Amino acid sequence: MLQAPDSYPIDRPPLKSTLSMPYTLTPGRAAGVFLAETKNRRLVGSRCGSSGLVCVPAQDFCPSSGGADMELVAAPHTGAITGFTQTRAGIIATIRIDGADFDFVHRIVGAEFAALKVGMRVEAVWAQTPTQSIMDIEGFRPAPDAPVGTIEPLGEAAEPLPMKPYHMDLHYEHAFGPFYGRMFDEIGTNRRLMGVRSTHIDGALLPPREVDDISYTKTGTWVTVPDTGTVRAMSVIHLEFKGQKEPPPYIYAEIQLDGAVTRLIHSIKGIDMSRASELVKPGTRVRAVWSDARTGSLSDISHFQPIPDDVEPTST
Amino acid sequence: MSRHVGIVGVGQTHHSRRRTDVSQAGLVREAVDRALADAKLTIDEIDSIVVATGPVLFGAVNMPEKWVIDACGGRMKPVVRITSGGGTGLAGALAAYYQIAGGQHERVLVVAYDKLSEGALQYSISTLYDPFWGREFAVGIMGFSAAYWRARMDILGHTEEAAAMVSVKNHTNALKNPYAHVKKAITVDDVMKSRPLAWPIKLLDVPPISDGAAAIVLSSEKMAAKSTDRPAWILGIGYFCEADNAAARSMLVSEPLALAARRIYRAAGITNPRRQFDVVEVQEPYTCFELSYYESLGLCAPGEAAALIASGATQIDGDIPVNPSGGCMGANPIGAAGLVRLIEAAAQVMGKAGEHQIPNAKLALAQSGGGWANLRGVAVVSA
Amino acid sequence: MSGFKNVAVVACAQTELRTAWSSAQHVDLISSTVSNLLKGSGVRLPDVDFVIDSGSDVLDGRSISNCGFLGAMGAHHKEESRVEEDGLWAAVYGATKIAAGAAEIGLIIAYSKPSESDPSLFYSSQVEPFYQRPVGFDHLAASGIQAQQYLLQGGGREADFAKVTARAWKRASANPLVQVEAILSEDEIAASAHVAPPLRGAMMSRPLDGCVAILLASRNVADRISPRPAWITGMGSAMDNHAFAVRKPGRLEACEAAAKAAYRRSGIDPAKASLAEVSGSSAAGELMVLEALGLSRRGQGFEAYEGATAINLSGGALPADPIMATGLVRLAEAYRQLSQPADHGLSSPDTAIVHATGGVGMQTHCVVTLGV
Repeated sequence: MLQAPDSYPIDRPPLKSTLSMPYTLTPGRAAGVFLAETKNRRLVGSRCGSSGLVCVPAQDFCPSSGGADMELVAAPHTGAITGFTQTRAGIIATIRIDGADFDFVHRIVGAEFAALKVGMRVEAVWAQTPTQSIMDIEGFRPAPDAPVGTIEPLGEAAEPLPMKPYHMDLHYEHAFGPFYGRMFDEIGTNRRLMGVRSTHIDGALLPPREVDDISYTKTGTWVTVPDTGTVRAMSVIHLEFKGQKEPPPYIYAEIQLDGAVTRLIHSIKGIDMSRASELVKPGTRVRAVWSDARTGSLSDISHFQPIPDDVEPTST
Repeated sequence: MSRHVGIVGVGQTHHSRRRTDVSQAGLVREAVDRALADAKLTIDEIDSIVVATGPVLFGAVNMPEKWVIDACGGRMKPVVRITSGGGTGLAGALAAYYQIAGGQHERVLVVAYDKLSEGALQYSISTLYDPFWGREFAVGIMGFSAAYWRARMDILGHTEEAAAMVSVKNHTNALKNPYAHVKKAITVDDVMKSRPLAWPIKLLDVPPISDGAAAIVLSSEKMAAKSTDRPAWILGIGYFCEADNAAARSMLVSEPLALAARRIYRAAGITNPRRQFDVVEVQEPYTCFELSYYESLGLCAPGEAAALIASGATQIDGDIPVNPSGGCMGANPIGAAGLVRLIEAAAQVMGKAGEHQIPNAKLALAQSGGGWANLRGVAVVSA
Repeated sequence: MSGFKNVAVVACAQTELRTAWSSAQHVDLISSTVSNLLKGSGVRLPDVDFVIDSGSDVLDGRSISNCGFLGAMGAHHKEESRVEEDGLWAAVYGATKIAAGAAEIGLIIAYSKPSESDPSLFYSSQVEPFYQRPVGFDHLAASGIQAQQYLLQGGGREADFAKVTARAWKRASANPLVQVEAILSEDEIAASAHVAPPLRGAMMSRPLDGCVAILLASRNVADRISPRPAWITGMGSAMDNHAFAVRKPGRLEACEAAAKAAYRRSGIDPAKASLAEVSGSSAAGELMVLEALGLSRRGQGFEAYEGATAINLSGGALPADPIMATGLVRLAEAYRQLSQPADHGLSSPDTAIVHATGGVGMQTHCVVTLGV
């Protein structure tokens, strides 16, 4: 009977992880001109040469025909609500700008939700300080008497905005599960590296798992492996990049702990880094140097360092 | 049972370090327009669309097929996205192949792209690593790629000099490729002296970071004639994997690639790849991989890759040219790179590879892959 | 029975769908599901020719997340592909592979653990970043406007939203594979707070954690694996525009197109289908799907529940939406209902309609028809 996922009660709080990703996004011609023109309080749309249909805001491709022959046009700042709802973000509506053939998604401001009706006339409310964003229009407010506007030629227009900074933060709380949970408990509490026996070949799988990847049968008993091992692969890292944990140069290594049949990724220190590629190579024997912290993660090992003149045990 | 499937149209963008004139969607449209024009078709004649991209964190838009579909003019068509890391373009073509071979559709458009200039490449790709186990040490895919190369170096003789020769060959070939954006003649010495990034990987072992898109039209045999009288027939295509942290995983040979090659060669009647193929296109995220692929694809025996590159056999005028297009060294829009390799292989057997055409090429091999070097595919195309 | 009858669903396995599988990580859920699937089927892993899986990098918090789960999926040294869409699309891919004669047995897996992140970001990050995303337009806003337009243009009734929701939760409470702590009454639902009017909190589908796996088999082997294979008789899918505001209000054109393609292939009349398992991302969405699938008249979605076709005996997606797995769960449920009809109060069902959706405001749809 398979035990996971309901086998061992795991009281470890989940692993928190945040991916904080920076971007510079290119809007392309239609959206680029639209965003560049909001500072002039112009609402840019596009008319498809083949279908004749008008989109506001401007699109590079006609939503109906897929045509790419889009002429940019100046759209009026008025229209009518075609649909609306209210979420945490505010009142979100679909609005048909006068003269357009497709709707525009934006916010409704300066109105009570209960007072809104489909068909209600609205006009754009411009922000005081433009930021080259769709939010340079704060939203649309009711304007019952606003005259019906028309689509006009755009005339001279700003160059399209080439790129726009953007940022996306994604937060996670990853559950450990029974196998990783016990392994990290053992690391944090007992300074002990544990895996489970592979049912494919003789040796321990780290991280432990319920099913052996190759035999696809349930893995065997838990086993402790020593904190010594052999470097199987290594690289001297000089590259600097965003999100990096430590400043280069350092050694990225894949280490096979004695008795394990998988590799562990860690860094190797305690050597003269100017001779890194001579001093550390496949076959180099290393030992874990534990840190003072007991977080129950791989960082409880500060790094690995070479064991001079050591020989790999013959049985793995 | 299985129906014949051919590539009847191909297109790619002029790849570049940064395109500030088009959005991701606009980039896709360029490749789609070119592939459709090449196939003499309109989007209305396409039954289904497969979109392939690299990891979504490259581009800030989750499930981006749902955005770029408007730019493809693909409204109301079946659209699905296949992801498989760097090899996703070929994995996308594989899905499209079965849509036709399995009788579901007659013509399928495959579009693959990445606009890498818009994100933080190494940071986003480092999230490939298990958040519990090793991510804090990740250096994109460069860290483990360099480490595995180091493991092959002593045992298989994949030296820095041999890899440098791959770099020189591919850079030289890229000079003839109108779609490549790195156009630089270099020497082995330049590569050897270039700045180490993740030693043994040095700057000139690394392809550029590119914005680019590629598209192909696959067709059933019945419908192919409208587009061309010389399709590139797919004789076999497959994409295999291995568990990333399985017991005793080999760093010396790419087992999933060897497995894919064995299966697909059998399907395509290939018994001697070195002799039978007229041209080979491989996706080399770093130069060291091309050496490894020579061996896993059976172009030479294990341990003979360095001798193969040194012999000149894989040069554009050699007996088994590899990457006459310049491979990834000329342009590397990751999500598109696998499909670009298939396009280049197809263009060779369709006789329209232009300046880097191998004379009378009839049978071509394309290789692609991604992930933790554990997702690997091949395709065999013939005139 | 018409249709192509080359490929059948022959086995399925599923974890319970829970608000949070906090005791397990992805690989634990996946390996346990796949192990259970094989154990009951008589199929050994070496007999499986390929694996196609559905999951989301954004939900998983990893890039190329399939890459780290291959061993747990049983994919080692097999052909594997990741479809980053609901698992029903993965099943469709698998079916084409078997139909092409390239394989006999395929393993299809779909999973999600939305409890590990904020699933609203999974949707808002799908929205194009220049015009719609900064406005705060997201899945909730799309669903609310869609529901309003359905009432205005499609002719549906707002009172039906609470009825649909209450019915779904009642069904789910009888489903051993869905965790339900408390059943909400129709009155409680109708009185719950609005999240995107006219939709109230309980009327949106509830994201849950879970994993599902099925085996597909060719004509040659299906009968040897399952006493009652469910043959795939038709498949269709279609995607609408991304720009929400240009979609046709009040109806789901892409769902109509997907259904049309599937029915054309299978030749089935939806009104005569024995059962349907459909995925609505809101109460209004479920009604619109039923209409688009031809299970009721336009604007009369609720009448589908009173018709001859058994609709969402499982409870459907409203109480249990394991995002990337929701449609594949529908396929598994339909297979169980067709193969063990007595357990579900059915007499002799012979056809099923299975539906999946994806995207903000249900942009894309997939329909599969089954026959026994």
